[in-house]
Amino acid sequence: MSKPEKIISLPTEAIEIYKIIDKEKKISIKEIERITKLDRGKLEYFLNFLVSNELISRLSVVRHLISLIKEGRDAAEKQLIERRIVDVLKENKNIHFANLAELIGCDKKEMNAGIGLLKKNDFIKIEKGVITLAKPDAEINANLQAIIEQLAANEKVDTRDFDAILLERNLVELAEVKDTILETLISYNEVKKKIKQSSEISRLSPNMIRNGTWKDVKLKEYNLEVSPPAFYGGRKQPYAQFLDMVKRKLVGLGFQEMRGPLVELEFWNFDALFQAQDHSAREWSDVYRVANPKRGFLPKEKYVSLVQQVHEDGYDTGSKGWRYKWSPEKSARLVLRAHGTSVSARTLVDLPVPSKYFSISRCYRPDTVDATHLSEFNQAEGIVTDPSITFRDLLGILTTFAVDVAESDNFIFRPDYYPFTEPSVELSVVDPNIGPVEFGGAGIFRPEVTRPFGVETPVIAWGLGIDRLFMVKHGITDIRELFSHKLEWLRTAGIS
Amino acid sequence: MVSIKTSYTKIKEMIGKEVSIDELGNLLAFAKSEIDDYVEEEDMLVIDIKTSNRPDLWCAEGMVREIHGILGTKKKIPFYEVEPSEYKVVVDPELASTRPYIACAIAKNIDMSDYHIKQFMQLAEKIDQSYGRKRKRSSIGMYNLAMIKSPIDYKVIDQSHEFIPLGYEEKMSLPQILEEHEKGQEFGDIVKEYGHFPILLSADGLTLSLPPIINSNDVGRITEETTECLIEVTGTNYETVNVILNILCQTIADHGAKIFSVEIDYPKEILDRKDINPNLELEEIEIDIDILNKYLGTNLSVKKASELIEKRRFDSVSHDKSKLTVAIPPYRKDILHWVDISEEIAIAMDLNKIGPTEWKVLTTGSLLPETESENKVRDILLGMGGIELLTNTLTDPDILTLNVNIKDRELVRVENPITKTYSVLRDQIYPVLISVLSKNTHESYPQSIFEVGEVAKITKKSVVTQTNAAFFYADADASFEDAHKWLEFLLKLLITSYKIEKLEHPSFTEGRCGKIIINQKECGIIGEIAPGVLEKNQIWVPVVGFEIELPLIPILQCRIKETY
Repeated sequence: MSKPEKIISLPTEAIEIYKIIDKEKKISIKEIERITKLDRGKLEYFLNFLVSNELISRLSVVRHLISLIKEGRDAAEKQLIERRIVDVLKENKNIHFANLAELIGCDKKEMNAGIGLLKKNDFIKIEKGVITLAKPDAEINANLQAIIEQLAANEKVDTRDFDAILLERNLVELAEVKDTILETLISYNEVKKKIKQSSEISRLSPNMIRNGTWKDVKLKEYNLEVSPPAFYGGRKQPYAQFLDMVKRKLVGLGFQEMRGPLVELEFWNFDALFQAQDHSAREWSDVYRVANPKRGFLPKEKYVSLVQQVHEDGYDTGSKGWRYKWSPEKSARLVLRAHGTSVSARTLVDLPVPSKYFSISRCYRPDTVDATHLSEFNQAEGIVTDPSITFRDLLGILTTFAVDVAESDNFIFRPDYYPFTEPSVELSVVDPNIGPVEFGGAGIFRPEVTRPFGVETPVIAWGLGIDRLFMVKHGITDIRELFSHKLEWLRTAGIS
Repeated sequence: MVSIKTSYTKIKEMIGKEVSIDELGNLLAFAKSEIDDYVEEEDMLVIDIKTSNRPDLWCAEGMVREIHGILGTKKKIPFYEVEPSEYKVVVDPELASTRPYIACAIAKNIDMSDYHIKQFMQLAEKIDQSYGRKRKRSSIGMYNLAMIKSPIDYKVIDQSHEFIPLGYEEKMSLPQILEEHEKGQEFGDIVKEYGHFPILLSADGLTLSLPPIINSNDVGRITEETTECLIEVTGTNYETVNVILNILCQTIADHGAKIFSVEIDYPKEILDRKDINPNLELEEIEIDIDILNKYLGTNLSVKKASELIEKRRFDSVSHDKSKLTVAIPPYRKDILHWVDISEEIAIAMDLNKIGPTEWKVLTTGSLLPETESENKVRDILLGMGGIELLTNTLTDPDILTLNVNIKDRELVRVENPITKTYSVLRDQIYPVLISVLSKNTHESYPQSIFEVGEVAKITKKSVVTQTNAAFFYADADASFEDAHKWLEFLLKLLITSYKIEKLEHPSFTEGRCGKIIINQKECGIIGEIAPGVLEKNQIWVPVVGFEIELPLIPILQCRIKETY
């Protein structure tokens, strides 16, 4: 290699790295990473200077990394079996074959291997079962032993001459490690004088601005082809961000927000919504019950007694009611909120007219968690009331949701059933690929629901399947992603 | 939701014309049902029915009844003749406090082909399971009439009574059936609660069944040869057993069976009159057409409303221009109020043809102040470089206790969890963040994560929901200083003065942990996670952070929400 003629200009960091490589002559890139604490991206950037100036070479290699397995570690600690046999023989001169294993403290198989090895190399003689040393002063496999001990101590050791024997004797295992080896082509001292801390510098420093040296240097052109270092900034959780957007849209449509507690009285979750106390939705398998405390306290007596009447005989609503004995104890039981409608039920107390409300609430259902079911989910739902409101207005509201929230003008209405509304309608948005996807539902609260709270105007109750909408929009097929713990997704998921 | 299997060919036969799967799907929507699956090779349709209060729809016959109305091929309440029979059931007063009601009818000339037996059994099973609340409220039985002699006794019997239960060969005593028979094991608790055994016996002593558990193997066995049978429903609610009997009779009559009535002889302890089943007397409800139009936003005449309701298989008569009297088919008990009729009329009009109105209720929208406050905190934490999390509030108790080295405590626990993984509501957030960090040790560091989310706590007076904010940072160089500077930043922006007092806490390293005090009130925790906790969670870098209760920061408008 001819000596470079011209001046080589290098950034300071590259010079430092050059010195490290030069000192070792040959070094793995991982080692430099460790020494310099530079991340891989930066390191590559500086190495590029050294390689392009032909000061070092880089070579991708697959190294075979030898490491001791249990048998090897045992040999390091207790010596190789043949050495142990020799040691015992040195002490005892001659030993009967039958006693040897016990004296050494090894099993027969291992001992036989040692004996075989010694015999093959004429270190011992065996006559009538008695073993004696043939070469009393010689050492056997001292180098091999030394290598094993060095390996055990994690020392740097060149095992090349011993690899075959180590493997054959089943003391080590071999792993393939990909690595990059850097080697100096010209020693640092040889080119030292020609190296100039580059006037073409990679970055501007505050000092350079202050003392005017920036005038003498040229900023190195940035390599636009290079990938930048990885960066993960703070960001909103994608689903939370979607929920924020839904809230903004609803606020834009004139809805006021409402919120309620996670743990709910059955009163608000069911009774106020005219769900009979033996309704199947109230069963063990359909709602999470709280173990302790099992019960809370019912709200104001006047509401409780009217809800009771409406269940038992319809109160003055003109309804037949459910015709059974309503139990306040059952109503005071605590459950995890099973649907967002309980928040609407609470809002019926002192409901202003006209008004529009929404809530996005966490709800719970005893489902086995899999790709399509969660034990908890978010429901967007709410109510609208006005003296003039009719069932056709309900269809109008659903139309607005389809167009403004689901952003679709292809949708259909179908009859549906909710225990607390009549009539009840399902809204499905027609996806060009999947077909109709259920997106929401609505109905007019039965008079049995509104009357006990003194609400005289019709109240439209609606709900939207926002979990589903988010999944369709983001092409997510596993609903568990919504509450993902995967940092990779949280850091990199795109925003729609 | 109820799901049934039936035959596509048979449905088409019953409708009386060719309908494609798509057309059928559209028609089924009028019966609040949809096709879940169609297996062409087996001619099998799986249909989901959305109503829990319309058991009459849980069979092909019921859905087709509605479809005929919509197609206009049939209207009004379907009619079938009921003739009297000699049969009578005598009810024991002892049953008054347990399972007092029974409804019976006789069906002759029945078509008990394999397909029909299976369909009928499916309907009976769905009704028992859902409407009958797993046979607790009601259960259905069907018997070979030829083997029954009147009067039938529905009575309480001694536990030594024996009979051969369906599907068995040996006689078993009643307690034995509860213990050993699979139906006894499944439904036995219902009878155990009664403290006595109800039984149905033929006049000659033959056992029909042990309601609601199991039929006998002789009288209670229906085969393809059976042409005459007794249908019976027992239960705890008079109206329920009767409407179920009506549904069954209607369904079987739809196939040309002849129905005969049975007299029920109730003692005065249960009902002060004799009862003749099936009771096909029609209940009526009066509709004020102006009120109906105002409710639906329509402009229907009485005549038009009458046509529409008859399409839904109701009868109607009108005596003046503003009122319509609607008669309810005897197989429906879901009509409680005129609003229920309003839905029938809306469905008959076709929801997609009624025409929505323009958006008209004008109000001002807004987020709650607490949501605005939470959003402010989220914005600051995002600015600190945090990755936001949205995690389950229902979690594993170990995550909240063992994994962060803190004692078990009073938590909102679920009484009926599916799995321990989701069995307790979190009362703070940082243990969940530690769990998240432990699942991401293969991702590059530093890792800054936060969540502003709801937690639930049990207090002396109530159970409360509130929002906490937790921010945690994991990196090789992380130390208390980092958490401290971020807390300082957050609270400075929230114009809140605070101090940190020394705290010993098992999740955190001793001497590197403190409680956050605002207005002399403890409202959060800050510190370095103890190495033991990191090791337990297999996190191999230091982790620092803080959690703070937002309702306790005066400038924010977050509230503690009490359940009661």
